[in-house]
Parts: sequence; structure tokens; C-alpha cells
Amino acid sequence: MMRNDPIKHVFIWPAVLVVLAISIFPLIYSFTTSFLSYRLIPPIPPRVVWLGNYATLLQEPRFWNAILTTTLIAFIAVGLQYVIGFGVALALNARVPGERLFRVALLLPMLLAPVAVALVARMIFNPTMGPLNQFLSMFGLANLPFLTNGHWALACIIAVEIWQWTPFIILMMLAGLQTLPEDVYEAAELENASAWQQFWGITFPMMLPISAAVVFIRLIESYKIMDTVFVMTGGGPGVDTETLTLFAYQEGFKKFNLGYTSALSFLFLIAITIIGVTYLALLRPHLEKRR
Amino acid sequence: MSGQGLTGLSRWSRRLVAVGVFAWCLITAFPLYWVVVTAFKTPPGVVGGPTYIPFVDFTPTLQPFIDLYQGIRGEFFRTFLNSTIVGLSAAAIATAVGAMAAYALVRFEFRVRFGAGLIFFLLALGGYLLFNNSLGFNRAQALLLAFPIALAAAVLANRLPLPGPILGNEDILFWFVSQRMFPPIVTAFALYLLYSEIGRLGFQLIDSYVGLTLCYVAFSLPIVVWLMRDFFEAIPIEVEEAAMVDNVPSWRIFLGIVVPMSMNGLLATFMITLAFVWNEFLFALFLTNSRWQTLPILVAGQNSQRGDEWWAISAAALVAIIPMMIMAALLSRMMRSGLLLGAIK
Repeated sequence: MMRNDPIKHVFIWPAVLVVLAISIFPLIYSFTTSFLSYRLIPPIPPRVVWLGNYATLLQEPRFWNAILTTTLIAFIAVGLQYVIGFGVALALNARVPGERLFRVALLLPMLLAPVAVALVARMIFNPTMGPLNQFLSMFGLANLPFLTNGHWALACIIAVEIWQWTPFIILMMLAGLQTLPEDVYEAAELENASAWQQFWGITFPMMLPISAAVVFIRLIESYKIMDTVFVMTGGGPGVDTETLTLFAYQEGFKKFNLGYTSALSFLFLIAITIIGVTYLALLRPHLEKRR
Repeated sequence: MSGQGLTGLSRWSRRLVAVGVFAWCLITAFPLYWVVVTAFKTPPGVVGGPTYIPFVDFTPTLQPFIDLYQGIRGEFFRTFLNSTIVGLSAAAIATAVGAMAAYALVRFEFRVRFGAGLIFFLLALGGYLLFNNSLGFNRAQALLLAFPIALAAAVLANRLPLPGPILGNEDILFWFVSQRMFPPIVTAFALYLLYSEIGRLGFQLIDSYVGLTLCYVAFSLPIVVWLMRDFFEAIPIEVEEAAMVDNVPSWRIFLGIVVPMSMNGLLATFMITLAFVWNEFLFALFLTNSRWQTLPILVAGQNSQRGDEWWAISAAALVAIIPMMIMAALLSRMMRSGLLLGAIK
């Protein structure tokens, strides 16, 4: 039942005002700035170039490289997170021995500062003094160029992302698994369905809506990745691991090229929106079948 | 609670699964163990190659922490205080304001005309361009002037029978949550420029408590509203209806009945928000430079300043991590009681 009482405005306006102010100001500001040629250092008076910044960006290989890197990190990391996370959640839900003990440890990484995690990762991935090097040396793989080779560095960043964010998937999937009705499984038992059949026939389809939401959240968040990369490689070697946010930061905060950076962040926004809409459009038929 | 999924498996498969989960636990735990151990090492204990077990492999020392406290590598103590103050106040304000909005969205009916929203956006944009280009105000002044005018016009316009769809509570909620989709770099960079222009008007926001807290409140609100809405929806409405029969005003129903009943939810939301603010890097990087620097910035800086002094780096990382470890323990206790289940329906 919905009430109607003028006091509702007192309840909702503070939140709306704060969010409106902090989101609409920058939006208008950077939207208008993205059509200007505007630098702070050296100070040049703003000049209207309309779509000039966008055109320059779209021809810039570094921009496409950043998009490719970010997409690779986001899709590979989230894909693996989902597989591992779903697996662990299934096992925890089925009460493997020692399940209580695992829960705190499994929750921990997602609450830690990505910056601190990246620092620890740097130590572990150290090619001479790190524990991973010692471990791999036992198999004759000494001194691998973990953070100094483009492909290795990308793989290491993805590994750290998986380490940090799989717990989120475990948490969400576990909560989802606990809401599944039990009688369906009892019926499947009577039919002598194997565990494998039960998973693909019952668990997976019933978990699809939650899976879609969780993967969506993680995908969008992964596209914003910055701090892990900032600390682990700084975008290097060269620009091999430079993500979109890092690219924007370098242009905006190091070179103070305001118009260019604003255009870049708007392209970023457009890219995220396209990915989000495509993702939802692709999934919609599967989700609606279940309803 | 159902124990399904593995029932069809043989005893050996069950063991295999347990081994797999245990392996993942090891992978999760090892880096944490490593950072804790490294923080107590002396320089020789680091340079000589990896060592793992205190007292056997190396002699532990407290020196890295003493260095930290004495501020040899940046002012850790004050930065820790900054993070605590900003984190606690931003989380408290965001939880309070967001819970109010979430309650309003659950219990009251809102109607916003799409046309009014459009008017707001166009007036804000147009007013800004007009004030800035034709009337000679600077950019911050123009924005600050255009905002209230656009808002007032939109509120008035909402009363007129405008054509176009009417948005309800679900749409308002979607608007809140969609703010999370924004790449924060868009906002962080523009906010930095806006703050510095406001600073030129004589009101310091960059590297200030107010500026940083305000920005964190705004960015935590979407998630607070989203989480709290589910908690409030789970509360049976009968209690509130009984109070309404007795003519108890709405604000007293909220403070006296709803808030105490959803204390667990508020607490969990507060902690999640606190973790978010505590770990946040990008906004702090843009909006602070010395006085109100937060821990993530200082910790990230350790890297470039001290290449291989792992004992110092580990101690620094540990200072940033430990408060969240405590929170994880508290949160997992709540999770066990099924509290977070409601949040993801």
C-alpha cells in the first residue's frame, strides 16, 4: 500500500539533490568542454572545435589499444571469475567438509583496497625474489618476465582481478543457490538424474537471472579498472596494459588537455552504454523464457 | 537451506570437490599470509629470497611498523586518521540520507513527468551556456546559477499536464542505481575542475574535508538506496499501518519503528559503504593532494618511492587492509544469519 503524505519530499529530496548536483554538474561541464580545444598547460584560451576532439581520438591508435586492453581484462577476468565463483558456490552450498571455515577467508579479498592488493601482487610476481618465481623454479621456469612483458603483465593483472573479485561472485551465487526450491531436486532424484544432468537441467537455468545480474555488475565495474593497473604496471611496459581510465588520467591530469580528456570520457561513457545495452539485449530472450 | 547439487555424486567426487575448494582457499589465503609475514621481516630476510615461517626462516621485527608510526615514509598516522574520519562520516551520512530516500521509495508514491526531467536537463545546459558565454560569468558561477533555476522550473513543470510518459518509483530507483554505471573518471575529472573553479570563488573544496566527503556521499548513495530498499520491503507493513491508525506522524513511524526494525540492514549497508570509501582510489587521487590525502593514495605512492623495501611496503599495505579484515569477519557473521540474502533478489 502506498501512502501519500507531503513529508515524502523531506525523505527523498536530500538524496536526490546530492546525486543530482554531483552527477549533473560534471556531466554538463565535461559535455560542453568536449567540444572545445582547451588546455591549462600551456594556457590557451578555449576555442570551439565541435567534433574535432572526437575525430582526433578515433584516429588515435593509443585509444583503440586502451579499449582493447580494457575489454580483454574485463571479459577474460569476469568469465573466469564466474566459472570459479559458481563452482565454489556450488561446493559450499553442498556442504563440503570445512565449509564454515572457508567462508570468512573467501569473503576477504573483495573488501581489501585494490591498491594494497596490487602492491602485494607486485611482490609475489617479482621475477627474482618473489615466492611465485621460487615455486616455478622448481619446474625449471625461473625468472619469468611477469610484469615487464606485455602479455605476461596483462595475464598478471587478470589474475589479480580474479583473485580479488571471485569472492563477490561466490557470495551472490551462494545466496542465490540457497533460494532454489528443494522439491525439484527431489523429483530429479526419483528420476535418477545424474548430478551433471541436475546441474544443466535445473540449477543452471534457474540461476540464469542472478548470473546475468552478477556478471553485468562485474563487467561494468571491470571496465572502470584503474588502481590495480596503476600500481602494478603503471600501464606499461609501453602502453601494453593501459586501460581507458588510466589513459584518461594520463591525458587529463598529466597534460591538462581538458577538451581532449572530456571527449575521451564521453566516448568511454558511450562505449559502456553500448556494451551494457548489447549485453541486456542478448540475454533478454533467455531470461524471459524462464518467467 | 538445501543441500542439493552434490547428492548424485560418488564419495570420491565429493572428495575431489572438497580438494578443489581447499585449493581455491589456499590461493586466496597465500597472498594475505605473505603480506602479514613480510611486514615483520628485516631487510636481510627479504633480499635473500623468499622466506615463509617466522622464527625458523627469519627473525621477526617490529621495525617496519615503528618506522610507519614515526612517519619516515609519509605521514601515515595522519593519513590513517583522514581515511577514518572521511570514511566514517561519508558512510554515516550516505546511509542516513540513502535510507530515508529508500524508505520514501518503498512506502510513498512518486510521479515524475518525463517532460519535467527533460526541462531540467535542457535548462541546466542552456542556462549554463547562456550565463557563461553571453553574460560573462565564469564557469562555476554559471553552473551554480543555472542549477537552481533549472530545478525550480522542473518542479513547477511537474505540476503541469505535460505530454509524455510519467515515471514512477521504479524509474526513480533505476535512475539512482544507473549512476553506478557511469565511468567515475568522467565525474572525477570534471569534479576536479569544478572544485578548483569554486576554489577560485573563495570556497576551498579541493583537498578539503567537505569536498571529499560530499563526493563520497554522492557516490555511495546509489548502492545505499538499492540495498536499503530491499531491507525496507522485507518489513511487514502491518506494524506501520497500526501506528498510522493512531495518527502517529510519518517521521516518527520511520525513526521509532522502521529504523529499529531494520538495524541489521542499516549496519550492513553502513559497513559496505565504509569499505567502498576506505578503498576508493580515483576520486582521492584527483581531489586531494596533501592535507586530506587518504590511505590508498599514500599506499600506492610507496611503490615508486621505495622500490624493493618490501618490509615497509607490506607494513603499509597491512595498515590499509587490517580494518577491512575485521569488517569481513563481522560481515560474514551477518551473512551466516541470512541477512544479505534479501539484497540480491
